[in-house]
Amino acid sequence: MCSIGEDDFGDEGAAHAMVAESLPSGIVLSPGDCNKCGVTSSELYKLNFRTAECRDCFLAYARHKFRAALGAAKILPRNAEVLLVLDGSAESLVLLDMLHFAQTQNTFKRLHCNARVVYVEDQQVQGRDPVDIEELRNLSTQYEPFEFHMIKLGSLPNSLQRIKDYNTSPNKTNELDQKLHKLRSLTARQDYLQQQRKNLVASVAQELQCTHVFEPSISVDLATQLLTAIALGRGGSAALDVALLDDRLAGDVKLLRPLKDLNEQEIQFYIHAQRLKPLIQSGSRYGQERGQTASLQNLTTAFVANLQQNYASTVSTVFRTGDKIAVNAHPEQTSCVHCQSSLDSTLSDTLLAIEYSRSVSEAGVGLYKNGEDLEGLAKKRLQSEDGLCHACRGIQAELESGKFLVLTSGWSGK
Amino acid sequence: MPINCKSQCGNRATLKRPKTGDALCKECFFAAFEAEIHHTISSSNLFRRGEKVAVAASGGKDSTVLAHVLKLLNERHDYGLELVLLSIDEGITGYRDDSLETVKQNRDDYQMPLKILSYEELYGWTMDRIVGQIGRSNNCTFCGVFRRQALDRGAKLLGVDSIATGHNADDIAETVLMNVLRGDTARLRRCTDIRTGGGEDSIPRVKPLKYSYEKEIVMYAHYKKLVYFSTECVFAPNAYRGHARAFLKDLEKVRPSVIMDIIYSGEQLRFKDTVKKPVRGICTRCGFVSSQQPCKACVLLEGLNRGLPKLGIGKKSKGERMIAKQDQELALRERANLVKNDF
Repeated sequence: MCSIGEDDFGDEGAAHAMVAESLPSGIVLSPGDCNKCGVTSSELYKLNFRTAECRDCFLAYARHKFRAALGAAKILPRNAEVLLVLDGSAESLVLLDMLHFAQTQNTFKRLHCNARVVYVEDQQVQGRDPVDIEELRNLSTQYEPFEFHMIKLGSLPNSLQRIKDYNTSPNKTNELDQKLHKLRSLTARQDYLQQQRKNLVASVAQELQCTHVFEPSISVDLATQLLTAIALGRGGSAALDVALLDDRLAGDVKLLRPLKDLNEQEIQFYIHAQRLKPLIQSGSRYGQERGQTASLQNLTTAFVANLQQNYASTVSTVFRTGDKIAVNAHPEQTSCVHCQSSLDSTLSDTLLAIEYSRSVSEAGVGLYKNGEDLEGLAKKRLQSEDGLCHACRGIQAELESGKFLVLTSGWSGK
Repeated sequence: MPINCKSQCGNRATLKRPKTGDALCKECFFAAFEAEIHHTISSSNLFRRGEKVAVAASGGKDSTVLAHVLKLLNERHDYGLELVLLSIDEGITGYRDDSLETVKQNRDDYQMPLKILSYEELYGWTMDRIVGQIGRSNNCTFCGVFRRQALDRGAKLLGVDSIATGHNADDIAETVLMNVLRGDTARLRRCTDIRTGGGEDSIPRVKPLKYSYEKEIVMYAHYKKLVYFSTECVFAPNAYRGHARAFLKDLEKVRPSVIMDIIYSGEQLRFKDTVKKPVRGICTRCGFVSSQQPCKACVLLEGLNRGLPKLGIGKKSKGERMIAKQDQELALRERANLVKNDF
């Protein structure tokens, strides 16, 4: 019997499996005066480091963060075609709601862009029950005139369907599913899946002629992402993983993270204020049910969450560190064929040391006798022209046979 | 079923290398471990022929293995180095006094001269007395800052060309994580460097064990039967670093290559042009390398001597206010004395 994840019930009991209460702590339900506008309200929202305020003032504050992220960077051209990625999480619903609100305002304040929504159906890959289509259809009516689309993770971009015409295709195993099963560790599977998801979103955006993609990552996601990227050996490109703008997507599609300045509490309050109903619980990403120690990603997520409890500024400090780093790239550099991050132009001593370790382990005591050029061998291995970065080679190495990193479906490479 | 050594030397494997996961026999492990350090030294040009190198020795596993391997490689590959041991006595009863005995044993075993410098003679304070003043929290700040400078002072005294420290791969990966958690970009820039300092006015420090895993260092010391001291410091360990350390150990259990991957990530990090860079200079008071004026060691020492041990802990403005308050009180008392004398 598989015992992975069982140890997690040791120290903290099953605390991680508990579902957060529906009402976020901190909302003062007794009537009171808003500290901002002075109006008496039946519900006051008290965020950390802010005074209690009424629903309207809170919503204005949270929505301003979204607008400010886009506005300050002047990153979204007027009338841009935007694709919003919906995954059913609380964050994605908040993003949908905020974008919808920003479009319904008067001309002066309106966010001038044309939005479409895509729901990436990953239940099959995750081994969970399919999503309730009716709920999605309700959402699409609620948020008219946004067009809602749906696509299965791992399928071809041309299998994209409008949500109103969507019919569930029979459950056949797809190529992505098989590839995932071939990878030995959950760490590699999660890393690979994250990349494949991004590729799929990029090709959907191209299919729908969208130039920009909105991703609903909030500050805690990005803090975790930064530490994860560092643990995976993706330090050179980590800046793009946590920046407002990520331009590594195929077909010149730009990925934006307009919720990056929002924190978990603000999301919970927004959900409560707007009576939104998340379709999935938080912490139900691929492989997370297997426990903290099952992968580097799970471990990092748990670490950040635990540290945040004892040191309240952990997330914001890590997140700010992410704001200070830049991508390590030169224009003439080639990119990794899998993750599109810049490849190393110069030989790294550390990577050479890793390869050298492998060579000397194989040579053992014979390394002085045979007079082999072990360093030359290590260099040769390092410079093999597979077009992959160090971290993606790590995924490749876990696959017993065959090249897999350039998936034929779900990735058009246009 | 017994497993054979990966190198096909014909022996049975006795251990699994934590770094690569290969099953090796003892002899092949020694050869691989030493060859890697030699490779690190030669590919990064850490030393030049004829140089005098101080090995920062604490008596712990890292510095003991470092001294052993440097002596061995110096003879095997004819580096032409003059090696000396340099130890700092922080004055921690029940910890450093015992570990210095180990260093003395190393001195005799490896036939290297040893120089011991104490906080007592350099600063007039032992760690025991400092802890008596500041308590159990923040005492590691004093110890760390003073030791860093004490090594510089010792190196100057011995007239060496560089100091070799026993920082291993785990230490460096842990420091990368900690600096990300603390948002310390200045340290993040330099913590993965194999050589730091060095210029006109400072003595460079090098880390020959940068790519050696802590687990392998312990294995090497164990199988080579090296004498080392393995007790934790009696004063409270640094709590925040402890989190980063525990996290790294957990990560290593999931994927052993993570240590090298984190070092690689740390090296690949670049910073936006808007991020402030520290300027390395010379402390106007003591003349040693510092990026602040006066250097941290001088501020901490001033705090101890003024009876304000918290002076160098926390914000600079807070320290300045403490000094101003004390000066004001002193002035008041002096005036009171004057008034008394008038009568």
